[in-house]
Amino acid sequence: MASSRDDFIIAIRSAFLKKSTKQKFSLLTLVLISVLIILLSSLDFKIIRYLKIGISEVVYRSSFVVSIPENLIKKSVKDIVDYSTFYKIYKKEKNELNQLRSNNISSEITQFENKELKELINNYVSSADKILAKIIVDHDSPFLKSIIINKGSKDNIKIGTNIYDQSYLVGRVIEVNYKTSRVLLLSDLNSNVPVTIAPQNIQAIITGAGDEYGQIKYIKKGFTNDFSEQSIVYTSGTGAIFKSGIPIGRLKISEDEKSKNYIVEFYSDFSQLKYVFAEVVTETEIVSVDEKNSQEKDNLKNPMSAKLKILEDEIQIIEETNSKFKDENENLKSEVNRLNNEILNFENQIQSQKKTISQFDLDKKELGFLRLNLEYGHKCRKTFLNIKGFAVGTSEYKKCVLNKGRINE
Amino acid sequence: MSNLSTKNSLHKLYSWLPIIVLFISVLNEFDFNYLNLKYFSFNFPFILIFFFTLKDFKHFDYFLVFIAGLINDTVVGLPLGISSLSYTLICIATSYLRNITIRPNAIKDWFYFLFIISLINSMNYSILTLFFTYNLELVGYLINTFFTFSFYMIFVTIFKYYIKGLND
Repeated sequence: MASSRDDFIIAIRSAFLKKSTKQKFSLLTLVLISVLIILLSSLDFKIIRYLKIGISEVVYRSSFVVSIPENLIKKSVKDIVDYSTFYKIYKKEKNELNQLRSNNISSEITQFENKELKELINNYVSSADKILAKIIVDHDSPFLKSIIINKGSKDNIKIGTNIYDQSYLVGRVIEVNYKTSRVLLLSDLNSNVPVTIAPQNIQAIITGAGDEYGQIKYIKKGFTNDFSEQSIVYTSGTGAIFKSGIPIGRLKISEDEKSKNYIVEFYSDFSQLKYVFAEVVTETEIVSVDEKNSQEKDNLKNPMSAKLKILEDEIQIIEETNSKFKDENENLKSEVNRLNNEILNFENQIQSQKKTISQFDLDKKELGFLRLNLEYGHKCRKTFLNIKGFAVGTSEYKKCVLNKGRINE
Repeated sequence: MSNLSTKNSLHKLYSWLPIIVLFISVLNEFDFNYLNLKYFSFNFPFILIFFFTLKDFKHFDYFLVFIAGLINDTVVGLPLGISSLSYTLICIATSYLRNITIRPNAIKDWFYFLFIISLINSMNYSILTLFFTYNLELVGYLINTFFTFSFYMIFVTIFKYYIKGLND
């Protein structure tokens, strides 16, 4: 008996402590290191946290590279399945798309209204930017449902950041590294989400089932009677972990012999995720009108800023006067041009009138001559009886007519 | 001459293959989960570590196994050190078995493997639920243990072929 116990102790000691030539560490050392690491990580020691972040940065990238062949197989399997059910899915999705298009318009209106109301309620506006993130590791572990995305603290990702597939909720960030983050999926057993079940408007909490669906928990018995297969589950925003109004899935009732089970079928298929959206929220404070005025008053109290204010006002006045002068100048210029044009017109008019007058004078003279010619022409014209007369058309003839006959007559 | 050096490097790579496969499996979590069979999962690193440490394989360094555990924790998202402790415990168990065994027997090894992985999975489950307040499904662990145990003999056959090829 004693020798058997000795053998056991020798074997154990040998197993723990014996370090063969090819081994660098004894197993006891490694066990102690492991236990130490576990203890320190349970106490959330800084060194372990940084060590984990360091390892994560390298391991996630390596894991992504190593997973390429497996992902290729996954993709091929999925492609084959997709092709076989392609037409059926197409028909179904076409109908859904038409329905969604009509719903989308009313949803947008509600969003605007919601934003406005939130602005009125809160002192700040939270503007959310959704950034696209690629899933670099998705192993679909049987124990923990999580994914690794290629965005980290560098991209303002924080613990608790909501992750979406299109507009559907996928999960939240539980671990942030510099360039990568781990997202806990809604299907994980550790995921708890406060939700509202519409149209009954019942508050509940859904937890992951470790599978592709969620379970409704923490709800009073009487309320479940109102549930129907058409009920929609979306986040209630209670606890401020998730934003309110994000669609999660549809309620499904499965009946056993003993009881009814209420499960949530997620809208998003977590096994098919390739890219997700991470919602980076930035909060900016709204400055009210009163605060603005008080800020201006404060500014005036400071003499330097008061001087600057006066100078600014002066500059503004000068600029305004300048612009007025400029306008006036422009008006005067256009007036001068108009008057010049008018003068030119008048001059032209005078010229034409002068011409007319001179023509009139000429005509008058001619007429007077013709009248005198009729009366006294026979006295001046050279004829057989009047030898002393002049030939018609000569200047002597004209002179004679104008003199009303010859002078010595 | 160059042919000889190529042969040598190939042989070296071949002899390091188990540890390379271990690292690939922890990085990739090699367990056929993408087949989407309900509850189906098995722990390939357990089989690999158990077999090669039991055979006292020359390139299967305990420290590298420990590092593989740390990587596995990072990939899976478990607290750091859990898998390292599990893998090291397998190494201790195999070392102990090697010391007390005079005539090795495959069936005995197989059931000893079942005992060890059950013990380690129970320990893992206890640590995670008690110290880290994780919600875990016990059924999942039991089924994982069952499939790991079932696949042991298949992989052992493959590994034996590998060792035979290396010795030849």
